[in-house]
Amino acid sequence: MTTLRGDAQKKVSVCLAAFCLAAVVLPWVGPGPMHVRDTLNFQSMDSYIFRQLRVTRTLLGLFAGGALSLAGTLFQAVLRDALATPYTLGVSTGASLGAVVAISLGWSLVFGIPATWLGALAGAAAVLMVVMGVAARQRRISAFGLLLTGVAVNSVCASLILLLYSLAGVTRSFSISRWLIGSVDATSYGSLGVFALIVIVVSLLVIAQAKDWNLMAVDEQWAASRGVRVRSVLVNGYLSGSVLTAGAIALTGPIGFVGLIVPHMVRGRISSDHRILMPCSFFLGGVLLASCDALGRIVLAPAEVPAGVILALLGGPYLIWLVRERL
Amino acid sequence: MTTLLQLADVSFSYPGRTVFSGVSFDADEGEFIALMGPNGAGKSTLLDTITGLRRPNSGRITLLGRLLHEWRSNELARRVAHLPQSVRADVPFTVEQLVLMGRYPHGEGWFDSPADVAAAHASMHRTSCWEDRLRRFFTLSGGERQRVLLAACLAQDGKVCLMDEPSVFLDVDQQLRCFDLLAEESRNGKLCIVVTHDLNLALSYCSRLLILAGQRLAMDRSTADVRHASDWLGFFSNRLQLGETPDGKPWVWYQ
Repeated sequence: MTTLRGDAQKKVSVCLAAFCLAAVVLPWVGPGPMHVRDTLNFQSMDSYIFRQLRVTRTLLGLFAGGALSLAGTLFQAVLRDALATPYTLGVSTGASLGAVVAISLGWSLVFGIPATWLGALAGAAAVLMVVMGVAARQRRISAFGLLLTGVAVNSVCASLILLLYSLAGVTRSFSISRWLIGSVDATSYGSLGVFALIVIVVSLLVIAQAKDWNLMAVDEQWAASRGVRVRSVLVNGYLSGSVLTAGAIALTGPIGFVGLIVPHMVRGRISSDHRILMPCSFFLGGVLLASCDALGRIVLAPAEVPAGVILALLGGPYLIWLVRERL
Repeated sequence: MTTLLQLADVSFSYPGRTVFSGVSFDADEGEFIALMGPNGAGKSTLLDTITGLRRPNSGRITLLGRLLHEWRSNELARRVAHLPQSVRADVPFTVEQLVLMGRYPHGEGWFDSPADVAAAHASMHRTSCWEDRLRRFFTLSGGERQRVLLAACLAQDGKVCLMDEPSVFLDVDQQLRCFDLLAEESRNGKLCIVVTHDLNLALSYCSRLLILAGQRLAMDRSTADVRHASDWLGFFSNRLQLGETPDGKPWVWYQ
């Protein structure tokens, strides 16, 4: 009989290998051939494109996809709802609103940092404070309370985004819709490093509580009467899920689907035990988003299709097929 | 030596509605107590307060000489196992995973230790759900689910077992096996408090009957004591009669 430890080690290392393989292979995918010899010559144009554009894009796709898909797993466990995504609790809509405000005001750089990033982080933080403020007034923090507040915040932010969109001029409304589609763009190594560090630390904190999430996924009372500190686990989950979502969305725009599809795929095909589900969702979510981005570079070359579009086009039918299989 | 569990003047109310007040009793290891009463009398709420899931509005609950809310949550869960009336049915876990969750308060590490796995396997054998260990919980019938939850509680290995209607959904044979198991647990020095509506199971197996009715603890008597008095049947229905089986055991029948 296989023990959980052996099973987990095997499955998680296969997913980690896929993650590393994607990091090595995907930068080579793009319109036009790229020769290894030219790339290794640091003076050449190919090498510059490879290092500054392709590699950063791939790494951003890997970490953003991982963060969004782990956040999806987390929110599905917090709400015990199969349809929960990083969007459900309002944080990502808040982040989008912040970014849209920055675009509408015509800000591009603030202290050398892209204004959409700051806007998205500020928006997410504002939503966090509202939702936690409401939750703290209740006698106990419940998943249901978080959900209702999140839905309300979602619709308010969504209509404010529409309002700003209709008030903005043609150029700005184009940038707004472009941002809202969600895409993986080249970034600097500096911001990539900060983002990756945050994602890694928060993800490790989340995965450390994977055993608690197994019990939470059954029932809050079930978890509490087995000694799980439900309140603190819920708050940790909500906060870390929000940080992962806000960080990813600030860099890529709202790409929510990865957070719905990957957790379901892993739960159905690999394991529903959060000790395996959480790390595998992270790695495979990264692989999926980075691959969709690579695909978007070549499918209609020289035009680029945003990763969010590819993801929804491929992911939607796959999810329907997955649901049909399991029913 | 201190009493295992003490309740002193415990009251619980929701805003605008008192569930029960002034509940006091002591219970010790080796006892097998039936907690009974009409629907909505507060039986589950009382079990929840003893588990620490709800804080009573007033009164004191003491476990092993220490106030309940002074226990750390995992220390408490190592001593008190609670079987809920139900959990969500669409849980994606296998039977074995669910039973292993009962070992949560014992597990120090991120993975289950061999001792945890052994305890979980033993309790699956005892509740006859070993054959189903790799099935997913949502594919089970109501009675099979109930046995899995019971196995998880046995694996939790608390000194106190609080069972909220453990025999619900079980077929007659499984009901008897379930009460056999709990009787065995109490003979091994545990305190079992079981909520049930089955008066005959309670009379046959339990050593003591507690009845919650009219927002208070209306009766607290030993089973031996109630065999020959039928006044207490009025708490449940006025159509009940107390008789005897051919071999002289008390038996409640209805008109």
